[in-house]
Amino acid sequence: MAEHVSESSGGKGAPSRRKFFLITGWSSLGLFLSGAGAAFARYFYPGVLYEPQTTFNAGRPEEYVKPVNPTEVVVDERFKSSQRVWIVRSSKGVYAMVGVCTHLGCTPNWFPGEQRFKCPCHGSNYNVEGEVVAGPAPLPLFRAKIKLAPDGSMIITTGLLGIKRPELQYKKSTLLPRWTDEEKIDIAKAPYFLEIKA
Amino acid sequence: MAETPSEHGKQQEPGLLSKIVRLLTDNDIYRSFFRTGYPDTLLKRMAVMRSSFVMHILPTKVGTHGLKLGYTWCMGGITFFLFLMLTLTGVILMFYYVPEESRAFTDMKDLKFMVPYGMILRNMHRWAAHAMVFSVIVHMARVFYTGSYKAPRQFNWVVGVLLLTLTLLLSFTGYLLPWDQLGFWAVTVGTNMASATPFIGFEGPFSEFLGVRIDNDIRFAIIGGTRIGANALIRAYVWHCVALPLIASALMVFHFWRVRKDGFSGPL
Ligand code: FES
Repeated sequence: MAEHVSESSGGKGAPSRRKFFLITGWSSLGLFLSGAGAAFARYFYPGVLYEPQTTFNAGRPEEYVKPVNPTEVVVDERFKSSQRVWIVRSSKGVYAMVGVCTHLGCTPNWFPGEQRFKCPCHGSNYNVEGEVVAGPAPLPLFRAKIKLAPDGSMIITTGLLGIKRPELQYKKSTLLPRWTDEEKIDIAKAPYFLEIKA
Repeated sequence: MAETPSEHGKQQEPGLLSKIVRLLTDNDIYRSFFRTGYPDTLLKRMAVMRSSFVMHILPTKVGTHGLKLGYTWCMGGITFFLFLMLTLTGVILMFYYVPEESRAFTDMKDLKFMVPYGMILRNMHRWAAHAMVFSVIVHMARVFYTGSYKAPRQFNWVVGVLLLTLTLLLSFTGYLLPWDQLGFWAVTVGTNMASATPFIGFEGPFSEFLGVRIDNDIRFAIIGGTRIGANALIRAYVWHCVALPLIASALMVFHFWRVRKDGFSGPL
């Protein structure tokens, strides 16, 4: 084949020139297509999101009802649908729990009688601390950060709401359904817990 | 024209029917469409298959085993019929349904309760989708158990697996569109699974090597954000109504062409 081509086109350099054009042609086409493919893939990552803000004002801690029984908690659901956050008032203080099941992301429901969060999707159960007591969830519920604003109201930050764990929980060593002792100390103080005296 | 009177044995009395047929078929318009005259001989019938675009999908000859219904159950054909039905009813539903958060659910309800014949169209679309998943699986089971995937049909089996995947993806992308609790949470759960993909899912193994986070992983690309919302809805809609059906159609054309080239498989 190659001899035939060189004979018919006369010169000895012809096949290599043809090869050169062949390689150049195909590689430019390949370059063009991969560029177009990369642009196409990049197109699916929007530059701006119009999602709800991940920081919100949850009002003053005094607004939340204290539990009658000191071993129980009162879960306030007023930010559940807009922010997917529960404001939990225990006898000692307030913390904010993110309403995203760590199994596959459904919103669990709070059952005050049983003092449990239960996920309707595959039945994960969490206790008041967010620890898994039943079901397939691999991690405790995420905590949001609480900061007190100068006017005394609570600024809650969930980060990328409901999906990414705040740094505390993002450590890979916490891949357990229960808080480790070290984490228990962490979640019981600021910014994950707001102590209220008396 | 009638050189072979033995074809049917009765060529003598041209009745009223054959006169009408002659009138309809023995003219330039008919011939420009079908390229041949009225196919009253075996040769002309073969010529119709070879020269007409509409008929070219049919083979000029079919072995008797290819006609055995008990062998194929016609499941591939039923699948294709359901796909056509889904395309038709889907396009009709598109006249009313708007993939927008505040409208999607009410549009779906309107289709069911306000639009004349809306209920039957939506249910046709819904049940045909369920039936198509079923018939694809039965079709593939038949192909598998009769060994029809074997040489020379291996590649068509691969195309078939892609078509199965597309069928499931079409079902899945349609799930979100009613914007009801069932679809919403099912898609939440389904797309969260994507975040466990190795390398490109933020919860998957090795993702930390690529710097993959919640806001740049594969799930983010699928739903166009970090949570199921307006972006996810419009994406599901476009994939469901345009992109996936186009890809599936292209593969189906190829699938049928290969069946046509390889011939129908028969009992071993
Ligand atoms: S998503 Fe909550 S149990 Fe599966």
